[in-house]
Amino acid sequence: MNLFVYTIIAGIMYGIFFGLVGMGLNIIFGVLKMINLAHGDFIMLGSFLAYWLYGFLGINPLVAVPIVAAVFFLLGLPLYYAFVPRLIKSKDPEMLSFILFFGLSQVMEALVVFFFGNNQRSIPSTAFGSAGFTIFGQRFPIAWLITCLVALGAFGFVYWYLQHTRMGRATRAVMANRDEALVSGIDVERISALVFCMGLVLASIAGIFSFFVIGASYPSMGAELTTVSFAIIVLGSLGDPLGTILGGLIYGVAVMFMQSYFSSWAEILPYVLLIAVMLFRPEGLVGKAARSA
Amino acid sequence: METLLDLEALESGYGLIQVLWGSSLSVCRNQSVLLLGINGAGKTTLLKTIAGLVPTWKGKIVFDGVDLTRLKPNLRIAHGIGYMSELGMVPNLTVEENLKLGGYFRTDKENRKRAGEMFDYFPDLKAYPKRMGGALSGGQRKMLGVAKTLMSMPKLVVMDEPSSGLSPKFVKKVIEVLKFLHERENLSMLIAEQNVSFLDFAQKIYILDKGQVTFGGDVEELKGNDTIRETYFGISQTVRSQPPSPVGETP
Repeated sequence: MNLFVYTIIAGIMYGIFFGLVGMGLNIIFGVLKMINLAHGDFIMLGSFLAYWLYGFLGINPLVAVPIVAAVFFLLGLPLYYAFVPRLIKSKDPEMLSFILFFGLSQVMEALVVFFFGNNQRSIPSTAFGSAGFTIFGQRFPIAWLITCLVALGAFGFVYWYLQHTRMGRATRAVMANRDEALVSGIDVERISALVFCMGLVLASIAGIFSFFVIGASYPSMGAELTTVSFAIIVLGSLGDPLGTILGGLIYGVAVMFMQSYFSSWAEILPYVLLIAVMLFRPEGLVGKAARSA
Repeated sequence: METLLDLEALESGYGLIQVLWGSSLSVCRNQSVLLLGINGAGKTTLLKTIAGLVPTWKGKIVFDGVDLTRLKPNLRIAHGIGYMSELGMVPNLTVEENLKLGGYFRTDKENRKRAGEMFDYFPDLKAYPKRMGGALSGGQRKMLGVAKTLMSMPKLVVMDEPSSGLSPKFVKKVIEVLKFLHERENLSMLIAEQNVSFLDFAQKIYILDKGQVTFGGDVEELKGNDTIRETYFGISQTVRSQPPSPVGETP
């Protein structure tokens, strides 16, 4: 019984983190209708930057959040303007974006291996102190709680932005129909750039906390995380950022169950989920509106 | 009358496919203009080119004395062109949010005042401010589309088939609303339609065929032109007094 309770609670926390992992990918897809295949590599880069800030400058991961976010926002702007407007104007932007972001992913991984080597890196969970916390008799490290709180804060920010700001309303209009947004007077290019940067920022924040959930950071983790993120957003609903939270939760609980009861099968879970959703509910669990819009 | 919109020999299309082949037309201030044409004539492309959604290959778009040919769509809206697509509104935004979006360039205070006016014009919408656009009926969606377009207080409203998907009863209502708004707001309008019920409302009519304007004149001139009448509306001399039928249904 104890294992079952632990599995559920840990799964929920794990899922909240993975909701954050997928959020950036989904928000970019929602606006640009492109799958950023380098998404996982941005998470990896975020984790490497956090590792460097912690290891060399002694900056606590929590304090590193605004620093890493600012760096990735600034990195996103030139990346967006260098690639995306050209992709959008091309004849087949979706296919070209696959190729381009896949290439970018390979370059990023190769550069990280070249400069930092192939070793795994980690920030000890004691970076937040050695205290733990207890829920329903189950004890968890404090780093998990902080990770969940940061992820929930990020979801809250995305929700507030989309539902309660003028730019957020414009973003939802762009997500629903790019032309309708343009003729409403929205500078779609500017909104797209902002959301692209926001997607990278969310990925980088997930990277900072990946040490405490995944355990370590390494150059090849990008491809794995892109696959997981893709499974999560398809599960939730492509193009609906808030559906990502549900996708993350289902993934998290499912992974914990697999690890607790069928550990050797846990690795294939994202692929199984992806195939199952594609077969039985291709519009995702949250519904039709976001996909058809 | 002073010319508000002047299209000079517009050429445009999608990719390698040319749709408009030197289309010219003009809309004067406070004038309601109907653009008629069968499916595939290029009406939507012409309106999208005016709005900037389709690039102009050749020719010129002059609006209120300003050359807008190379301007981005969002800036054309800021100059005073209101464009209503066939969809007309954003389905995953509420009625209230759609109106705010329509007044994207306006301040919150201006938008509140204008939304109040729109709710007075369209009481149906007032009853459902929090309802998603996509959850409204076909007629209500059109009303929302019109209201959203008017939120920016445009000088010219460009509409793409406001009657599409509506029952004859609603088409009549849409025409009544547009007539009312035309008079009340001194609006200039350019409406692309297949439904000849809109002839009553138009002060000037253009016919677009295969990407070219083949006729420009008032209703009387159109009625007097047997060739056009029979080619585009299927109305022969013997049935002239009968109610007009949609262009799309003619052979």
